[in-house]
Amino acid sequence: MRISTSQLYSSGTAGIERKQDQLLKLQNQLSTGRRLLTPADDPVAAARTLGLTQAKEIEGQYARNQADATDRLRLVDSQLTALTDLLQSVRSRVVQAGNTVLSDSDRQAIASELAARFDEMLGIANSRSAEGEYLFSGYQGASQPFARSAALPPATTGLVGYSGDDGERLLQVGASRQLATNVTGSELFMDIRAGNGSFATAASGNGGLANQGTGLIEAGSVLDREKWVTALDGGFPWQGSSNRELQIRFSSVAGVSSYQLFDVSTPPPPAATVSPLAVSPVLPFTPGQAIPLITTSQPPAPPVSTDFGAQVVINGSPAAGDSFAVTPSVNKSVFQTMQEMIDLLRTPLSSSVARMAYSGQLQAHLGNVDQALVNVAEVQASVGTRLQTLENLSNNSAAFDIQYQQSLSDLVDLDYVKAISDFTREQVTLEAAQKSFATISGLSLFKYI
Amino acid sequence: MGSGILGTGVSGLYAAQLGLQTTEHNIANANTPGFSRQRAIQGSNPGVVTGAGFLGQGTQVVTIERQYNRFLAEQVDRAQSSASELDSYSAQIKQIDNLLADASAGLSPALQDFFDSVQQVAANPSHLPSRQAMISTAQGLTARYQSLGTQLAQMYESINGEIKQSVTTINSYAEQIAGLNDRIGIAQASTGQPANDLLDSRDHLVAELNKLIKARTSSNSDGSINVFVGSGQQLVVGSQSIGLATTVSASDPSRLVVGLKSGAGVQEMPETLINGGALGGLVTFRRESLDRVSSDLGRNAVSLALTFNAQSALGQDLLGQSLLSPPPSGFSPAMFSVTEPVVLANAKNPASSPTVSAAFVTPIPFGGNFYTDLGVSDYRLSGDASGVVLTRLSDNKQWAGGDVGAINTLLASDPQGFTLSASGSLPAGASYLIQPTRDAARKITVNPALVADPRLIPAGGPVRTSAGTGNSGSGQISAGAVGPGFPAAVGALPINLVYDSGQLRNFPVGARVSIDGGPAQLIGAATDGVAYTSGASIILLGPANTTPPSSFSLTISGRPNNGDTFQLVRNSGATADGRNALALGELQTLDTMSGKTASFQEAYTQLVSESGNKTRQLQVISEAQQALLVQAQASRDALSGVNLDEEAANLIRYQQAYQASAKALQIGASLFDTILQIAAG
Repeated sequence: MRISTSQLYSSGTAGIERKQDQLLKLQNQLSTGRRLLTPADDPVAAARTLGLTQAKEIEGQYARNQADATDRLRLVDSQLTALTDLLQSVRSRVVQAGNTVLSDSDRQAIASELAARFDEMLGIANSRSAEGEYLFSGYQGASQPFARSAALPPATTGLVGYSGDDGERLLQVGASRQLATNVTGSELFMDIRAGNGSFATAASGNGGLANQGTGLIEAGSVLDREKWVTALDGGFPWQGSSNRELQIRFSSVAGVSSYQLFDVSTPPPPAATVSPLAVSPVLPFTPGQAIPLITTSQPPAPPVSTDFGAQVVINGSPAAGDSFAVTPSVNKSVFQTMQEMIDLLRTPLSSSVARMAYSGQLQAHLGNVDQALVNVAEVQASVGTRLQTLENLSNNSAAFDIQYQQSLSDLVDLDYVKAISDFTREQVTLEAAQKSFATISGLSLFKYI
Repeated sequence: MGSGILGTGVSGLYAAQLGLQTTEHNIANANTPGFSRQRAIQGSNPGVVTGAGFLGQGTQVVTIERQYNRFLAEQVDRAQSSASELDSYSAQIKQIDNLLADASAGLSPALQDFFDSVQQVAANPSHLPSRQAMISTAQGLTARYQSLGTQLAQMYESINGEIKQSVTTINSYAEQIAGLNDRIGIAQASTGQPANDLLDSRDHLVAELNKLIKARTSSNSDGSINVFVGSGQQLVVGSQSIGLATTVSASDPSRLVVGLKSGAGVQEMPETLINGGALGGLVTFRRESLDRVSSDLGRNAVSLALTFNAQSALGQDLLGQSLLSPPPSGFSPAMFSVTEPVVLANAKNPASSPTVSAAFVTPIPFGGNFYTDLGVSDYRLSGDASGVVLTRLSDNKQWAGGDVGAINTLLASDPQGFTLSASGSLPAGASYLIQPTRDAARKITVNPALVADPRLIPAGGPVRTSAGTGNSGSGQISAGAVGPGFPAAVGALPINLVYDSGQLRNFPVGARVSIDGGPAQLIGAATDGVAYTSGASIILLGPANTTPPSSFSLTISGRPNNGDTFQLVRNSGATADGRNALALGELQTLDTMSGKTASFQEAYTQLVSESGNKTRQLQVISEAQQALLVQAQASRDALSGVNLDEEAANLIRYQQAYQASAKALQIGASLFDTILQIAAG
């Protein structure tokens, strides 16, 4: 084929330019350490890179949130530990106070100590985070959750009320995982079921006076939860919807101590109160015996039996006319329990009847303190579970991060060995092109004529 | 016979001289673009009759011929035109490619920063520096959208400029070709010989013209050529140059388009007819890629703004303000502001044409969050005899109806992300171009109210729930999910639900309640009971005639006892509540775009990958085309190019021919001298 001189030059320079272009690209890759310089180099990898980078950044954000959540929960956890210790010491004081040989002044001393513990507990309840937010106030981070209200006479101290809410402070700790980083004050201090958690027992007097016998009612227990719940949820026909309470009334039948269950609930005001309704036959009583809460409608009503699946134990010998109340548990704040205990301990005991009532009440309070301890333990367990979850998530996040980094590196990073070998090869071919071009362009017939 | 000898010798001398001159011309023009090497074509002179037969009378140069093949030249023109088109397309799209994917200048880092800061606010709702940071990163994000949008807008501007420039150059080539047509005609008519160098110049001009636009030629008998572009539009006819013109597009006044001069006016040339050459590349790039990328980026910006605003409206700010606040309230439900879709009336619309406008559809909630249905295409709304037709320009899908309202009804079931309205009925022939998101990226801004006071960021939820403190059952109430229009759903707070024997009572009178999305139950009186199922979702709906449908849903689980209560109250004082910020943060990974098929980042990644693929594809085709061009040029140069070695050989050949003729002349002279000596002797 005939070759024109300009062809010789242009193809020579084009070849050299192409090589230089290749070298420049390789040089760029080597100096940046990136295989991909523009998306056009590998559009699929470029798109994946963007996706992976976002996923990695989001995972990083989750990891930061996890660390944040862990810090906050640890702070809550430390407060819970302090609260547990405090309640334990309160408990031992209450047990001590149950000793009937203590004088009024001894009880006064215990009351003073409990009052100090009370303030300490209020301090824990109103503790704040490093950012100055109240730990136990729900969403109301800026307002103090626990404060005494004004004292209502005849009481000398007001009740401690909760002004926070039930809000959960959530953090996004995983792709579809939000975790509460707080415990609300209501959950921790306020919503504590009185009594044994299902119902509360108490002495309820003898015709306007305190119980006259030596009968003491224990906290009682639910044996069959399903029956209990069913009985409360419409299973038992209360005669009124207010003051739902079963009463165990004692009497003496032919010299034998006997008891009978009464429904003393009343319709809500303003309806007129109704008189207590007997809901069981009169049954003989042996001290220390378990009294099952099973009701049977008495004539003239058709006999319908309701089993509450629960029992109470009454020790000692109740006098005829003594009565004991069994009421479904309602919430009682630990502050109220403490306050009542303090007030109780400060009351002088003048008679054996008063001592009996004191013992009964103190026992009920002890039950409430135990409930508070159980409640704190439950909350702490939930916080511990959350911390455990966070640790697992955090391990996951770290693994994800490494995985993403690995994938990104595979997509974007330069294989230096290959790149340097390519560079050397291109260099050799460029030199060859240059040399051959110089040689060819030097060949001219004009040199010889 | 002496004169014969001399004459023959002189003719040889003369021919060798012409040969030498032609060779020198070739050597001198070895590097002239478009030059075709020339050859002196010799022919022998006819002999004279002698007794011995015909006696040769030497030589003559018949013509100077250029080594040229029209087909090879046209092949180069075709290849050149395609290569230039691809080059220009590829150079333009490379800019977009680099712009979008740049690790620091692209959208991704700004998007990530913004959502990181949203998470920070969710973690620390009352922390003012976190709120300030969210505003700053929001501004960073809008600035990034704006900057990308502005750079794309500048590409439109520069394309307008380049179109103008190209058309001017094309017209100048056309005039030069017409001028050369004239001169070639005169030169060839007067001499009967080809005007080689003029022809080369003209061919070179045609080649240059092909770099700008694909042009075809046809020759006339007088040696002139006609030049056509597009589908046969005349550019040059003989010695007359017609030329192209630029004009503003009737459908979009921001666009310069190529037009044909016809009579007194200029007629728009359909863009699909402009192919080949740099101009073809520009116009195709603008139509195929730039429009799409601009709309896609705008769609991203609009979707972000609309969904973010929709979720923001469901929140409560640090001052406790929300949509539940009685007016006047300083609550700012919008985080971003964007401009509504652009509707351009055609410049040639009939005088009675109404004003048409379009508005974005409020994002639709799904799973607690929002999505838009916007696409990347432009639309055309036109009136005809039977009503109006909306055409999606990317695939020519059409929606036809009696009026704009009928079109909106169709769009309700086949959503395109916007609705239309017109101030009157469209006359036949009226046409509107709708660009839903073309320029939106450049127009997105952060709500100045929030910039001025970051406390207005709605990070919290407007309603909180609680179980009654006196409850004896184990019933628990969820925090509740806020849906659009929730103020109508919850009515006057607080709501105090009471559980009684398997029923929940005390719902607001007049509201409707649906359990797990079942049929809505109208609450006629506070004592109306709704059956309780543990864990079922209780959805409060507003009164029956509320538009848009409103909702607030919550769950109560566990076993409540009779008389247990559950409250819904306004979330006042909730400075530590970051629920709405969490929901805003979730928008990052949810499928919020294209009818819930892609997240912001995925949609953006798709955009980057599309332009990356297109760039890659163009690079590959362009390289292939370049190889074709090189081959075509090699074929042409093999015939027409100057080879200096060959010319050197020719120099020697003609030199020797000259020397030989001179020797023959010398011999002839000495023969004559011999005769003279005899005569003298």
